[in-house]
Amino acid sequence: MTNHPPSTFKNMLIIATFELRKFLFNTRGIIALIAFALIWGVLLIYPIQGASAMLLQPNIKDLIDSLFGVNTLNVLFEWPVAEMAVFWCFALYLFPMFSILIAADQFSSDKTRGTLRFLSIRTSRDSLLFGRFLGQILIQGLLILLTIIATIALALSRDSDLILQALSSGALVGLNLIIVILPFTAVMTLLSLYARTARQAMVLATILWTLVSLTILLLSNQSSVLAELQWLLPGAQLSDMLNTNGLNSLAFAPIPVLQTMAALLLGRIYMQRSSL
Amino acid sequence: MSLIQCEGLSKSYGSKKALNNVSFSLEAGAPIALVGPNGAGKTTLFSLLCGYLSPSAGTVTLLGEAPNSPKLLGKIAALPQDAVLDPNLTIASQLAFFARLQGMNSQVAAKEALRVLTLVDLADVAAQKPPSLSHGMSKRVAIAQALIGSPQLVLLDEPTAGLDPANAKKVRELVKALSPTTTFMISSHNLDELEKLCDQVLYLDKGELSQSVSMRASTDSDYLTLTMQSCDSEKLQQEVAKLSGVVNISSKQTNVFIIQLDNEDKCEGENTLTSYDVEVALLSLFNAHKWQYKMLLKGRTLEETLFS
Repeated sequence: MTNHPPSTFKNMLIIATFELRKFLFNTRGIIALIAFALIWGVLLIYPIQGASAMLLQPNIKDLIDSLFGVNTLNVLFEWPVAEMAVFWCFALYLFPMFSILIAADQFSSDKTRGTLRFLSIRTSRDSLLFGRFLGQILIQGLLILLTIIATIALALSRDSDLILQALSSGALVGLNLIIVILPFTAVMTLLSLYARTARQAMVLATILWTLVSLTILLLSNQSSVLAELQWLLPGAQLSDMLNTNGLNSLAFAPIPVLQTMAALLLGRIYMQRSSL
Repeated sequence: MSLIQCEGLSKSYGSKKALNNVSFSLEAGAPIALVGPNGAGKTTLFSLLCGYLSPSAGTVTLLGEAPNSPKLLGKIAALPQDAVLDPNLTIASQLAFFARLQGMNSQVAAKEALRVLTLVDLADVAAQKPPSLSHGMSKRVAIAQALIGSPQLVLLDEPTAGLDPANAKKVRELVKALSPTTTFMISSHNLDELEKLCDQVLYLDKGELSQSVSMRASTDSDYLTLTMQSCDSEKLQQEVAKLSGVVNISSKQTNVFIIQLDNEDKCEGENTLTSYDVEVALLSLFNAHKWQYKMLLKGRTLEETLFS
């Protein structure tokens, strides 16, 4: 039975969709999905609904200005849908954390038990690397989509006339969040290639973020030029993005995109040279 | 074009040389055996051939291509030692996924997964997950994945280790049945098994290729291996040594005798394959002494060939 092996690109798509199916149709994935739904359910019903009700009160802007400064969170009040504004504040920090958790086992377990050997004899290492990365983005994209739909539903339950603003705002938030999680997922791709277990990959991620943040902090005290090194670390732009909305948030997109390309390039070099 | 060509192949782990300057060339055809003691470098050689490892020195080509070449994808397959499938997914879904990566569409891939599982008599476990299988069944599933898409070359690292005799026999029969279309390279410690399956035997020792033996040449050589049920060993050796055409008889195991023949006395065009003078004389001798023989083998066993 002779078959022409598909291209790296086609196999990358096959691997990515298999990763998504693996997540959706196995017990561990379903448990993760339920846990995720519960966390976001609680967040949406209590903090997000409560905070968005507060945002709609006329005096709250003065209070926040006096607490955090005049131009720190002022854009939050410009969002057309208050629920989406509060969701944005939570999601901007929570999804990168989810990303580290969810994407920690892209390669480590498979490498340790030798499963990768069954794959590498059938497909290129590039298709494996980029396919699994893309698969993780699909999984997280699905989770982002589900939470945005839930937030839109929450806003519509308050005021059904907000449908158009909620949809357009939700689409931009979704796009921005996917761009935000790209470098976190790519760094986990790299770390899971090196680590022997998902837990080890997460420990390495914690060490990496803590050590690099501290180093950059120390260096930035020495010189303002060295302070620019902060842009090497995924998530450096998050605090600046918090006080933006809509298309303005996309202005920060080049930073995570470049970080993703760098992490994947390192991952590719490591993958090509490593023993399986 | 050679099926496998290695030139000065070496692999070191730190200061330890797992493989040292190994060179050989193998053609497609009957199964090839890779033999050697533990730590001889067999798995390292397999890993280099599969592209799991990169050599420290030397070159290796399969079907004229370097391992990991996109041109080889789907043409070679392997049963890697100790590699296991994902414990969270069903066997059928994983095998179908492998088939899809080899270029089959979803329907064909699902059928192919079932076909290869049927080859190893495990179609009934297709919907199960790997942890529910015994060690032997897991091994057979791993053999099944190596047969997806009928590759040209299949590398089997210890395929029958841990299998019960009945299933080991089934695997041997499977290899034999598929040999006309697929070349197998098999690493094993079971010399009897390799003797039954393989023509070409590579013997690795301490990372070096110490022997390359053709079993056919061994069969054609001027030896007979005689296994007796019961006999007076000394008397038998004395009597056999007197027979015309016998150069020497020796015994390293109880009731097993290696008889060296003299081919020079035979007429032109006559050899051990066409002349049975010694065999006939041996049977007459057994008859005269009422000795029961168990087996008379032309040539020497692989064990005898490698270690004598």
